[in-house]
Amino acid sequence: MTTANNSDPTLDIDLMAYVDGTLPPEKMAEVEARLARDAEARDAVAHWRHFDNLIHDAARAADTQPANLRIEALERQLAQKLQRRRWRAMLLGPGLRQIAASVVLFAAGWGAHALYDRGPSLTGAAYPGFVGQTLAGHYAYTHAAHQRAEFGAEDMDEALVWLSDQMQQRIDSPALERLGYQAESARLIMVDETPVAVFYYRNPEGEQVTVSITPRGAAEPDYTLRAVRVQDDRLAYWSSDRLHYTVVASGTNATITTLAAAVQR
Amino acid sequence: MSLKSELHTHVASLRRYALVLTRDTVAADDLVQETLVKAIAKADTFQPGTDLRPWLFRILHNTHISDLRRAKTRADAAADLPEPIARECQHTQLELKQVLGALDQLPEAQRVPIILIALREMSYAEAARSLDVPLGTFMSRLARGREALRRIVQGVASGKLKLMQRKEGGA
Repeated sequence: MTTANNSDPTLDIDLMAYVDGTLPPEKMAEVEARLARDAEARDAVAHWRHFDNLIHDAARAADTQPANLRIEALERQLAQKLQRRRWRAMLLGPGLRQIAASVVLFAAGWGAHALYDRGPSLTGAAYPGFVGQTLAGHYAYTHAAHQRAEFGAEDMDEALVWLSDQMQQRIDSPALERLGYQAESARLIMVDETPVAVFYYRNPEGEQVTVSITPRGAAEPDYTLRAVRVQDDRLAYWSSDRLHYTVVASGTNATITTLAAAVQR
Repeated sequence: MSLKSELHTHVASLRRYALVLTRDTVAADDLVQETLVKAIAKADTFQPGTDLRPWLFRILHNTHISDLRRAKTRADAAADLPEPIARECQHTQLELKQVLGALDQLPEAQRVPIILIALREMSYAEAARSLDVPLGTFMSRLARGREALRRIVQGVASGKLKLMQRKEGGA
């Protein structure tokens, strides 16, 4: 048979690919013809496959082990960190220019922003500047320089009063508790002198939701509810008479729509 | 697939890989935990857009190697695995022990490619990336490892047969 020490190692690769089911169809006949005439090769293939099956089945025994809570917790923690890493890479990558421009143009006026929105967007869907601000708010944990104030879950009532005062408009709680989420914190961040109230929620599964509320200028458009996907997360944004809203969460369109509806209520 | 579900699938794969490497369910879960702790610490080095699975497997592999060097745990570990779910006959268990025993005689560089491919969750290229070696090197190690494994197992079987024949002849 052809072994690793044989003068024709290519055929060893072919034999391995045959065993592993990755042999290209055009080589199948060649390998099968070789197996038909070479008893040693047949024996090798049979053994390799058999060992592979034994090891595969032994590994599958892990699937019958009870859940490991510590592993599950670490898995959630890693998912969150990787998600943040993806977002940060997105913000600092090719999308940075758009986000930065979006924030600047928001401050400069909605007319200029509308011009900007005609350009290529981050994910194939254009969105207004306050969405970009929310992305910044979503990363307030790592961009504390933007942050002006932070309130814990136990200070939500005080936070709403203070944020309403800062925004010079009444800010109501997003009230996602009705969907099983718990408020974790509320913050005020400033992006180019524009205040953005950001609320962070989390459900028992560890899924995070970020809600931002920012004043809507008199000349700015009134956005009807729209949901877009950004990487593995979803955004929903819309406007009321005097405020812009954005919700960021993982999940499906139905998830983000439900969250948005809860905030609108 | 969302990142969470993707990660969940990979963690299940890590537990399978760790179980074959350590031969012990508690040690396997410890290895996976250690891997995840390191992955969390290194999350900022992960390149979004690249494949997550080889990255995680590489961390687990390196962690396992470090553990082996530090404590030589494999030498101390029992050669028993939990019952496989698909093949429960005694004969298969004996064969499994024989194959795992033969695997232990291979150098780490040959043993690990065999296990990674047996999991059937990665292409050759992904498995090579997991071990941080060129594809050609990986293929060569896999080929040599498989052939060495066959020789060892056949040698063991042949030795047992000769022993039985001697016993029968002497009786």
